[in-house]
Amino acid sequence: MLKLTGVLAATAVLLATSASAQAMRPDQEAFRGLYEELVETNTTGSVGSCTEAAHKMGARLKAAGFTDDQLTYYVAPEWPKSGGLVAVYPGRDPKAKAILLLAHIDVVEAKREDWTRDPFTLVEENGYFYGRGSSDDKAQASIWVDSLIRYKTEGFKPKRAIKMALTCGEEGSAFNTHNGARWLTENRRKLIDAAFALNEGGGGSLDANGKRVANGVEAGEKTSQSFILEVTNPGGHSSRPVPDNAIYHLADALARIRSYEFPVQISDVTRGFLTRMSKITGGEAGAAMTALAADPTDKQADALLSQDPSIHNILRTTCVATQLSGGHAQNALPQRANATINCRIFPGESASAVRATLIKVIADPAVSVSQPTERPAVPGPPLTREVMGPIETLTEQMWPGVPVVPMLLAAGTDGTALIAAGIPTYGVSGLFLDPDLGRMHGLNERIKVTSLYEGRDFLYRLVKIYADQK
Amino acid sequence: MFRSIGALAAAAALIATGAQGQARAPDETAFRDLYRELVETNTTLSSGSCTLATERMAARMKAAGFTDSELTLFTAPGLPLDGGLVAVLPGRDPKAKAILLLAHVDVVEAKREDWTRDPFTLVEENGYFYGRGTSDDKAQAAIWVDTLIRYRKEGYRPRRGIKVALTCGEEGGSVGAVRLNGAQWLADNRRELIDAEFGLNEGAGGELDDQGRPVVHNVLAAEKAHRQFFVETINAGGHSSRPVPDNAIYSLARALDRVSHYEFPVRMIDANRIYFTRMAEIVGGETGHAMTAIVANPQDKAADALLSRDPDYHAMLRTTCVATLLEAGHAVNALPQRAKATLSCRIIPGQTAEEVRQLLVTAINDPMVSVTQPPGAGSIAAPMPLPARVLGPIEQVSQQMWPGVPVVPFMLPGATDSRRMTQVGIPTYGVSGIFDGRDGGGVHGLNERIRVKSLMDGREFSYRLIKLYADQK
Repeated sequence: MLKLTGVLAATAVLLATSASAQAMRPDQEAFRGLYEELVETNTTGSVGSCTEAAHKMGARLKAAGFTDDQLTYYVAPEWPKSGGLVAVYPGRDPKAKAILLLAHIDVVEAKREDWTRDPFTLVEENGYFYGRGSSDDKAQASIWVDSLIRYKTEGFKPKRAIKMALTCGEEGSAFNTHNGARWLTENRRKLIDAAFALNEGGGGSLDANGKRVANGVEAGEKTSQSFILEVTNPGGHSSRPVPDNAIYHLADALARIRSYEFPVQISDVTRGFLTRMSKITGGEAGAAMTALAADPTDKQADALLSQDPSIHNILRTTCVATQLSGGHAQNALPQRANATINCRIFPGESASAVRATLIKVIADPAVSVSQPTERPAVPGPPLTREVMGPIETLTEQMWPGVPVVPMLLAAGTDGTALIAAGIPTYGVSGLFLDPDLGRMHGLNERIKVTSLYEGRDFLYRLVKIYADQK
Repeated sequence: MFRSIGALAAAAALIATGAQGQARAPDETAFRDLYRELVETNTTLSSGSCTLATERMAARMKAAGFTDSELTLFTAPGLPLDGGLVAVLPGRDPKAKAILLLAHVDVVEAKREDWTRDPFTLVEENGYFYGRGTSDDKAQAAIWVDTLIRYRKEGYRPRRGIKVALTCGEEGGSVGAVRLNGAQWLADNRRELIDAEFGLNEGAGGELDDQGRPVVHNVLAAEKAHRQFFVETINAGGHSSRPVPDNAIYSLARALDRVSHYEFPVRMIDANRIYFTRMAEIVGGETGHAMTAIVANPQDKAADALLSRDPDYHAMLRTTCVATLLEAGHAVNALPQRAKATLSCRIIPGQTAEEVRQLLVTAINDPMVSVTQPPGAGSIAAPMPLPARVLGPIEQVSQQMWPGVPVVPFMLPGATDSRRMTQVGIPTYGVSGIFDGRDGGGVHGLNERIRVKSLMDGREFSYRLIKLYADQK
């Protein structure tokens, strides 16, 4: 999934500890074997199997001492290859609510002929692990499984239960549209019940020189909602054009959407982001961040910051035309023209409110605006001390001086499904990525070896802190 | 039977005969039989055969005395059902150039379940013939064949040769199916066989008012050429959660908005000049004044604005381009990498496709938007002259049969097979003498029909007109 860390990397330079390689610890070697197995298990929608990968991870948990009743394999009957695993590590206080560790194990398609190396062989080269899923999202999935194994081996008895869900279908390929996270919320809600969940979507960012810029925590996602604009017309023969034309109506509507800006909205998360980034960024942009955090109607600050598309899109709902189709014959006036408008809705805003805005902006009754699917408005999770405190403490311990920056993710992860089901979900990983964001979804996906091991240590420690919280 | 009688009397008598449907002459009975056979021979692309239809017409001509050497049946390799016929009635003066009578025998699809009557059974009801092709274009095809048969039977020896070409594929193919265009095939392969000074074809007729009275008699003197242009934008794309101002769809939308507001300049070609001059008298009033004004000065913006409120006049005065197809984007959640619109342009004679393309580029005024022509587009015909040699006899016969009804040449904003002949040096005009109401007779649509009287009058008109042409020096 997309992460928002590029903007952090682009704006600041900070001192950080050098990322020099160190000798591998025995627990890291064990982790590496698990990570390798998971990356090398093909889980693409076309030919892979999440079910197989989930069983391999379950077998490792069982070997470490998990009992069968602590391991729930699930699979929707129509999607035999889209199965997943929920593991429960019991807590000692039955009244304390659990925490949930979520990761998806499916990956984006990868063609051997397009890649430099086999995408389903984990290759370590020049300080990087290469392979499909090496970053998105098998790094975090492996870390969750590995952490549970370590806790079990150590005999750790947490106050609250630790639950882990490995799911399929996050990438939503054409072959595999079964989303495991949503399926769990709809069919196994009790099994995954938790006070809050940790997921992908956050992470640290490195600048071009490999220096740590900030540790981003994703606290909220925009909701993706598409709308269809449609114009119908009696049509006619193209030799006799008339002013009333379905395609021209649609073009006018698109021009209006293009020039419309949704108003700036500031949530707790984006206020935190702007406040912290203003110090890192400094200068004119930094001042604008401070100004906008204080006054969302500051047009000047908005104009300056919104020149950067990665800031523009976290300040507001955005809608953009992504697809067009119209007409039925090259020599006939079009009887129908439609456009798909993909909107990314600010947390808490409803799709119907956005639709109403679009209708108002288009201001043409000939253009209908419909929603092919209705998704509920999903508010962002609250930024509590309970969640943020341990992240800040641990980040300062491991990477002194690196700020923790809460972020709104403009794209979406499975977190939205969990939040909608009442489980506040945060993206946090401690995995520091290069400005190329690990080439997620692209060719030659990779992750820095040191980043992976440090992120593993970070999450192992973080989950322990949460698990012993009162 | 009325040929030797005076003009007015002839017309009156003819009308009376047609209207009453009585005292049918033997030659009319023969024509009705021929027409019925042609209409009832299915020539649709899906299940019909132009070859069979033209073979049947050839058999009738042979029975009337045409020799094998005067009848050329043709088919193209691989398309055995798309055949046609060229028949020649030789002229007595070997130096005089022939005239060509062109008609297509293929018809648009017609589904029995959609029609009130069987589309391939000729039904006469309430003064109309119903059936697919009764109007488009088997009326004229039957008249051409019938006329040559009549000339041969009566021993008429024209000064110049009269050629009839019955062809297939005018209505076009369909997706996944190719049909031979016989007119183009003849132009490309048997140019000498169809050589003529000029040709007559479908595309025009007379107009009746609501009471069935003839109002105006149209002659198709020019056609627009059809050309597609692709308007296309490309972009790096990206994820839709991170929109950027530079967007392929928005660039295209802006380009289309400019195209929609752009008007090609008025071009006053011969056909328009005569059309608007004559129509000015018929229409009168403010519109009539505007017609006179625009003929005198094609730059007259006020006249153009007034006339162009009517989409038909608007299209006659200029080249038009209109967006007909739209496609863009590859995923709901991705910024579009490509956006493309198809413009359907109807180009007025005398303007080149490249000129039109350049005007579009100027109107769009965005270097990121490309305007291209798909490959394989042919040349565009030069404007046709409308000499007195062609128009004079039409006016003469028209005044005999419909006294006082003006003959008005016009430009068809669409296209027929005529352009294929014009392109190879045989200027071809649309004239039929078949009058119709404003509903268009259900051409291409359901329950296609033709007024029986109009058909018979048109037959008589053509019989007389062709004789005038054929005896020209």
